[in-house]
Order: sequence, then structure tokens, then C-alpha cells
Amino acid sequence: MSGMGYMRRRRAVANTIAVAVAVVMVFPVYWMFNTAFKEPGSIMSQTPQFFPWPISVENFSRALDSSNFWVFFRNSLVVSIATVVLSMAVALGASFASARFSFIGRKVLLVVLVLVQMIPGSAMVIPLYLMLRQVGALDYLPGLVLTYLTFVLPFAIWTLRGFVEGIPVELEEAAMVDGLSRFGAFVRVVLPLLAPGVVATSIFAFINAWDDYLFAYVIMRSQENYTLPVWLVSFQTSEGVDYGAMIAASAIFSIPVLIFFLLVQRRLVAGMTSGAVKG
Amino acid sequence: MTKIAPAVDPVRSARPGGVGPARRRRWGRDAALPYLLIAPAAIVLLVILGYPMVRLAVLSFQKYDSRSLFTGESPFVLFDNYVDVLGDPEFWMVLWRTFAVTLLCVGLLMSIGFLIAQLLLRVSDWARLTLTICLVLVWAMPMVAAALIWQWLFQPQYGVANWLLTQLGIFGDLRAHDWFSNPVQALALITLLIVWKGLPFVVLTMYAALGQIPSSMYEAAGLDGASALATVRHITIPMMRPVLAILIVLEVIWSVNSFTPFWVLTQGGPSGQTTTLAVYSYTTAFSANDYGGGAAISMITVGLLAAFAVFYVRRQVKQVDVR
Repeated sequence: MSGMGYMRRRRAVANTIAVAVAVVMVFPVYWMFNTAFKEPGSIMSQTPQFFPWPISVENFSRALDSSNFWVFFRNSLVVSIATVVLSMAVALGASFASARFSFIGRKVLLVVLVLVQMIPGSAMVIPLYLMLRQVGALDYLPGLVLTYLTFVLPFAIWTLRGFVEGIPVELEEAAMVDGLSRFGAFVRVVLPLLAPGVVATSIFAFINAWDDYLFAYVIMRSQENYTLPVWLVSFQTSEGVDYGAMIAASAIFSIPVLIFFLLVQRRLVAGMTSGAVKG
Repeated sequence: MTKIAPAVDPVRSARPGGVGPARRRRWGRDAALPYLLIAPAAIVLLVILGYPMVRLAVLSFQKYDSRSLFTGESPFVLFDNYVDVLGDPEFWMVLWRTFAVTLLCVGLLMSIGFLIAQLLLRVSDWARLTLTICLVLVWAMPMVAAALIWQWLFQPQYGVANWLLTQLGIFGDLRAHDWFSNPVQALALITLLIVWKGLPFVVLTMYAALGQIPSSMYEAAGLDGASALATVRHITIPMMRPVLAILIVLEVIWSVNSFTPFWVLTQGGPSGQTTTLAVYSYTTAFSANDYGGGAAISMITVGLLAAFAVFYVRRQVKQVDVR
């Protein structure tokens, strides 16, 4: 009986620590929303206000009203979606082949896919900048999409490959025994089972492109071509920072990613660890 | 026993896909098909990754400045860029700074991450869910937004951090203290940001790995009367070794390559004193218009990281073999 009590006390202590850790970790995220929803007048106050009361969306409306917000939003959205569509179109076949077939160069391909994900963006950006400059694609959205493929595509192939491997090959074999062609088996059997994996990988790919700062900063030079991150940072360097609007804009920028992450986090953890352990 | 809820399905990961080499071969009757499927990816990768990497390597042996941008002239200068970079005391300061920040980031990430992962194993379901959701939210925060929030948190007059620290009273009155004007303090805050942002991945990966350790091993250790510390040392850490090794390699690479937090918070300043290798190659190429020099710095960075990864992974593999 006393053993039970001891266990229960230990668990209560552990729970308390866990809640404390959770509060500390999430505090900056909370503070973003807290600041964003405050009345603009109460943001610059000597004693910070820990709850956004009275609640106000004025910071958001100031952020949304600032010149060109919707242009930047559209740029970010277009570039990210284009990156996802292109990388998935190319990655689907490659991931299926590398999971299901043996062919010359398969090992090399897999090793290359892992290695290239470790090259720093600050190294890649120099030759990519010069290349795009040479072909006149600087400051041009499709050019930016190409640079995003450099990190999204290897990641997409690698992740999708993991999902293909999770589908028992017996299912395809059975379908082929039942008279389907290999392509038919792929379309009828593999694709439906792969759909959640494709969705999850697309979301990660989208987030990777959406979050990028470095490439967009180097390649998109004129203001009307900024993506949201570049605009957000330029907010901060412009004189007399409007913290309310800046934080509200950061919140608008982050919310889609926060929602996506919560939706797919289970797959994310499983996918990354299985990839990591196997790789 | 502590209830373990593995995030990775053990059945699936024990039998990854069930496609052994033999099965693969049987599927490979149609000899051309895999190549057709791979071809688009291979071509795209060669154009957008292969060519730029070659270009980077070549560039590091060329004199390429703002004039070259317009004339296209980029004479080969052999090792001049490397000699210039390695002969510049600034480079060695940057290298040392990068090393220190990386060591600190990875050390903190791994140790705090390990503790929180252990904590996750020992809490009730509701507490685990709460903590996991908070971690995922932090993980999801875009780095640019996180860096801007950092700036707001530590804003001299109105930042909540200075207010909280002043209330605590340990460091005296910090209202109006500007963290980012002092290079050491700025680096500390950037390190804190990188650790905060990186912890969720480390914790959740470690937690998934912990769930894979068979509970019978802990039971056996318990029967043998092993202390908690001995159990961690002789069961947990050896069992987690592959995951720990990969995490360390990844975190070292990510810390060294980290650009956004430095750029958004300090732009490498004041007067270059928070510049690390990633920022240094960027400013050399794009602010000083010395693209050859920037390429040389990038090549050195990649070389150092590759050497570290190879050396470290080798050592890990050897240790496993010896046991």
C-alpha cells in the first residue's frame, strides 16, 4: 500500500515537472498570440500584461492593411504550392522505384539523398544565385521554386520512400496474381494506401518552402516579389518597429503551419525516426 | 512498470516493409521500369543540386567579384581564395565562435532533450499529451517568426523577459538592458533560441527510441538490483546509441548551418562579433561581393562537417562492433 502511495507521489511530481516544462516551452508561442490580440496601446507598457484583455484584433487589421500584405501572402502561397506539386510529381516515381526495385545505382541514390540534405543553404545559395542571375531568373518566382526544390525534393523522395516501404508488397503481388498489370496494381492498390503518406509529405514540403527565409531573401530583390518571411524581417529593420503589427503578422504567418503540424505530428515523428534509424 | 506508448509502431519498424533483397529482385524483372521512374528525379537533382555543387567547388578557385557579375570574367586563381580565408584572423575567430556555439547548442539539446524524454515516460497520459502538444507547437513555429518573437521577448524597455528577470531580482534592474548590443549575450540568446526551437525534435525522437527498448530489459535490471543511474548507463544509453549518434550528427550539422536566427537577430553584429560560418560565407559573398571567397568558406565548412560526420559515425560503428 505504501508502495502504491510512493508511486503515486512520484507520478504527481513528474506530472508537475512536465506541466512546468510545457509552460516554459510554450510561453514564447503564447506570448506571440497574447501580444497579437492585445489592444495596441497596452503593448508598450512598463508592466507587461499577461492576458490579452480587452481582446482586440486591431494589430491584425494593421498588419493586413499594410501595403502589399496580400501580395506577399500570394507569393508565399504560389511558391510553396508550386514547390509541393513539382516535387511530388518527380518524387512519387523515384520513391516507388527505390523502395520496390533493385537497380544499378540504387544504393548511391539513397546515400546521395541523405547527404545532400546536409549541405548548408548558405553554401548552395551562392552558386544558385549566380546561376539564376546568368539565365535572368533572379527576382522571379519560378526561379525561387527551383531553389526550393534543392532541399524539398531529396526530402520528399526520402520520406515517401519510407511510406512506400510501409505498404506490404504482398498486396501488389496479390493484385497482379488477380490479373492487374503492375501499373494497375500501383494505381489501384498502392496509391490509395499511399495517399496519407503523400498528404503528410506534401504538408512537410509545403512547410519547408513556406518557412524559408535565406533563399527568398537573396533571390527576391524587389519588394513586390517578397515572400512573407522576407517581408516580416524587413518589418523589423524598418524604423520605429510597430511591434503589435509585426507580432500579429508573425502569428498570421505561423498559424497555417501550427495547424498543419498538429494534424500530422504523429506521422512526422514516426516518419523521421524510422528514416533516421534506417538511414 | 511504467507504461510505454511507443510513437513508432514496433511491429512495423521491426519488419521495415518486409521487402528483402530477394523480393526486390523478383520485382525487378521489368529491367527498364525503375530507371524510367528514377529518371525525372535524377535529372532534376543533377541540374539543381549537382551542377550548383560543382559550380561552388569551381568558384572557390576563381576570382569572382562584383565586376565578374557584369563582365562574366572569372579568372582562375588556384588556392588564392583559400589562402586569403585561412590567412585572415577574422576567419579563425568565426571558426572558433561557430565551434563554441555548436558545442553549447548540441550539448544542451542532447542533455535537456534526454531528461525531457525520460520525463515523458514517467508522467500520466494527460500530462504527456499536454507536453507533447506544446512541443509540437514549438517545433512548428517558423524560424523567422520565432526569431522575431525572441526580439520582442528581449526588447529592452517593453520585453517581458527583462521585466520577469527584474522581478526575480537576481540580476538587478534589467529594465532598458539591451541584450543584443553585447556580443556574448546576443550569442547566448541566439543559442537559447536554437535550443528552444530544436528541443521538440530531439525529445520526440528520443522518446520514440526509448519506447523501443523492451521493458523486460528494465525488469531484469530491476531484479539484479541495478540503480537508476546504472540502468541508464548500461541499458538506456547503449540501446539508444544509434539514435543518439544520428541526433548528434544532425544537430551539429544544423547548428553549424544555422543562418536565420543569427541574421534576423544580429546580422552577425555588433561589428561582426556574432558572425558564424554560415553568416560569414553569406556576408563575404553577398555583402563584400567576393563570391570566390564566400565559396571557399562554404567549401571549408562542408569539408569540416563531412570530416566530422565520417569520423563520428565510424567511431560509433566501431564501438558497436567491439561490444
